[in-house]
Amino acid sequence: MSETSEPVRPRVALFVTCMVDALYPGVGNAAVELLEHHGATVLIPEHQTCCGQPAFNNGYRDEARRMARHFLDVFTPLIENGEVDAIVVPSGSCVAMVTRFYEILFDETKHPHDRRRAASLESVTFELTQYLVDVLGVTTVDSRFPGHLTYHACCHLLRELGIDAQPRSLLAAVEGSEIVDLAGADECCGFGGLFAVKNSELSTAMGRRKVRNIRESGADAVAVNDVSCMTHMNGLLERERCSCRAVHIAELLNAGGDRDAG
Amino acid sequence: MPVEVGAPYRRRLRQALDDEAQRTALDRATARLSAQRAQALAAVDNPRLRQNARAIRQSAIQDLPKLLEQLEANLLTNGCQVHWARDADEATRIVCGIAEKSRTRRVVKSKSMVTEEIGLNHALEALGIDVVETDLGEYIIQLAGEPPSHIIAPVIHKRVEDISELLQRELGMPPTDDPAVMCAAARKRLRQEFLNADMGISGCNFAIAETGTICIITNEGNGRMVTSMPRVYVAVAGIEKVVHSVEDAALLWQAASRNATGQNVSVYFSMSSGPRRHGHADGPDEMHVVLLDNGRTRMLERGYGDATLCIRCGACINACPVYREIGGHAYGRTPYNGPIGAVITPLLADEPASHKELPFASSLCGVCRDVCPVKIDLPRLLLDLRSDIVESGATPRSERLAMKAFARSAEAPARFRRLRGLARLASRLPVRPPPLNRWARTRALPPVPRSGFLESRKRRDRDGRGEPRG
Amino acid sequence: MASSMADARTEILDRLRRVVDEPGRMFRSYEEVRRPEVPMHVTLAEGDSLALAKRFASELEAVKGSYEIVDDLSDVPARVIEQIRSWESESDAMDGKDPRPLQVLGWDPGKLPLPGIRKPLAEAGIEWVVPDDLLDDEDRQRAAAAATGLTGVEAAFASTGTIVLAPAEGKSRAASLLPYRHIVLVPIAAIHPTIESWLASLRSSGQLADLVRDSAQLAFITGPSKSADIELNLTLGVHGPKQVHAVLFDSQRP
Repeated sequence: MSETSEPVRPRVALFVTCMVDALYPGVGNAAVELLEHHGATVLIPEHQTCCGQPAFNNGYRDEARRMARHFLDVFTPLIENGEVDAIVVPSGSCVAMVTRFYEILFDETKHPHDRRRAASLESVTFELTQYLVDVLGVTTVDSRFPGHLTYHACCHLLRELGIDAQPRSLLAAVEGSEIVDLAGADECCGFGGLFAVKNSELSTAMGRRKVRNIRESGADAVAVNDVSCMTHMNGLLERERCSCRAVHIAELLNAGGDRDAG
Repeated sequence: MPVEVGAPYRRRLRQALDDEAQRTALDRATARLSAQRAQALAAVDNPRLRQNARAIRQSAIQDLPKLLEQLEANLLTNGCQVHWARDADEATRIVCGIAEKSRTRRVVKSKSMVTEEIGLNHALEALGIDVVETDLGEYIIQLAGEPPSHIIAPVIHKRVEDISELLQRELGMPPTDDPAVMCAAARKRLRQEFLNADMGISGCNFAIAETGTICIITNEGNGRMVTSMPRVYVAVAGIEKVVHSVEDAALLWQAASRNATGQNVSVYFSMSSGPRRHGHADGPDEMHVVLLDNGRTRMLERGYGDATLCIRCGACINACPVYREIGGHAYGRTPYNGPIGAVITPLLADEPASHKELPFASSLCGVCRDVCPVKIDLPRLLLDLRSDIVESGATPRSERLAMKAFARSAEAPARFRRLRGLARLASRLPVRPPPLNRWARTRALPPVPRSGFLESRKRRDRDGRGEPRG
Repeated sequence: MASSMADARTEILDRLRRVVDEPGRMFRSYEEVRRPEVPMHVTLAEGDSLALAKRFASELEAVKGSYEIVDDLSDVPARVIEQIRSWESESDAMDGKDPRPLQVLGWDPGKLPLPGIRKPLAEAGIEWVVPDDLLDDEDRQRAAAAATGLTGVEAAFASTGTIVLAPAEGKSRAASLLPYRHIVLVPIAAIHPTIESWLASLRSSGQLADLVRDSAQLAFITGPSKSADIELNLTLGVHGPKQVHAVLFDSQRP
């Protein structure tokens, strides 16, 4: 061991989430680059799939337990054997699933082993911006966005996890951009998981209200932390012929000059 | 066209979403009420108030049987008659019995969701008894032949013009769009009803066990009228309304007032403990209290005790982004709508399956939980209800099979990765399969990339590039 | 009927007794909550009696009531007469078949916090009605015609502008309920800081439960009757009084 040892880089496991993996690999790449740029070593467990939220939200707890168990199989050993210090996720709702709702899925008396495993992950599973700000202490980002930016607060991120200041502070650090207000920024966009198709007209009505607010804000892009909300919003923004787009915050924070902008 | 409460769920939703007039009215009203509420709560220590209110309500439920016995004993000592009803049928039979025995021909009522819940007006009218709603909003919808659409503001879905038209038709009021003139016309008419009624019926905001007291919150004064002018007074109280003490009722009164309309306190808060005393010039000769179960005990048995804490302030309704789009009638034949309604309507119903869409009519955004003065975890209750509905086998078979398949895939990463390929295929078909077709009706589909994130990372590693992976 | 009700009572209580034994069963995400030992004061008010009077007055005004603070006790009857007269000329819709603008529906004068009010009012041509039994038709019609109600209070709260009325012999409910206008005589000594402080003082003297029970109806009134049902437009005097006018005076000063 040398006298002037280098500070140990925190090691994190990335839970990329099923939707980012399938539809938005650019967001996954941006998340990895962001974490590495700000000092973390990123491990990407190969066998990860889904946290089980779609099943849980719709009342299918047996199915949700199966998926959750797989998640625990993949991620718990990494924490327990010290291979990583934390799990980082580019999504608020998936973090809420793991840190808040696994407790409901796994009863102490009926599933003590899974309950214990889930409990061991509760304090070390972070949403991306939460990890960047609260753990890595990030205050500046190497990113540029010429234009007006605004922020939509995804429901689980805001209300289950209480995360709001962190993404906003990072967004404010993006160079060249002007942050504008979004009316009803913390109002639900109407996605709600399968709600978006099971109650499609209602979901659309809620989303159109969001689109109206986005249009009025004059923003060129609206930052969001969950690709689920983002997909619903972009689906409507496109059909309503609004030029603004919802962009995952990882990509907005990673739009450096010498890197691909997602 | 306005929403038909008796229509199936899908039709109700569509009618609600097509009703521009209602949506405008709802928007304005809920925004105003929410703003007033925020202002009123900023003036007090709201976190502490919520903590206290919850403690009062939860401890009351935990002591419920004992408190009900104490309530009954005190009501009897005070000279009231106490009746117990297991369900709506028993309750209406009891009240009808009281009406017949007292030879009641005319009834005046103050706003009461519980009497809507049991269909009391119909039962009395079937006996040829005149029933007049005296809360202005309730009076208006009674004239319109509609049910209430909000537990605090029953006529929130109507515009001034609609109401004016109605009063012109029913009361012969001259044309006007001045709310003061409309109120004056209603006051004049209803004043006669108060003076001539044989029986007054109210609900109950809180029932104080230690004194045997029924508390009513109103702003118009009809609560005092209904409980003071007629010879017979009947209060219908859900068993969950009990609280321990006078101080408890006073705190909850203030919490309810601030959360419902942003008032520090409602204009009137009446605590009725019994018939008029000797030497009093007014007050009823007879006071009856009907203690109603109608599914509340079952709610506790099934683990939904949190929902019995509700003090019926309507804050969740005003905050709900779903309610704002569809209004109260879209929730169907129930006086309870919005987030709390989506929970207790199926739970109180004889056939929970008849309202099985309601717990799913939510994006689980969680604002309701944030605003609830007694901290009811409404999203959690909705999730529990969804699970119960799935367990009961009431969800579509195709959905159950799809969930099973999804879960199975999630346990096998290689198989899971292939789902993306399926999605890519499906999204490029000229006719999209469900549920993509429902999405695509109003929203563009996202392009599905050729490779997923994990897949391309794996390929990069195999090709010897990139950092070490797990 | 009687036996099925005994059944209902037994069934409901039996089921409840079984289920409350398991709080973890009733509340799925059960968290023990402690009842507050000391009731929380939701609102606050402080100061000497004059400060409380001023606070009461401003809160009452904020809810569209009105007030006057009378320095000299002997002026009170004249002020009451003035107020009644000022309303006489207003041509608002009145209730009753034969409205009497100069008729007062009031408490028995002997029950008011200020003695000797009857004579000055009579001399001013104001008729004072004290109902005997409002279940009697004639009494009822007579009461309904009065334009002004006149009462004292059981207590008042500074922090919300609330008055409390407890019916008793000679203190009808109707006096503060039926007429279009309500004049309430409020001795400054009757003004408590908050409802909680009032309840606490009654609780410690052991009078609270009795007051609630014996009154048959304890009424808390905060300003004139209101409705916002018509598109959230505020209207006054929907069923209860449209105007509430408080006359504050210091009954302890010589």
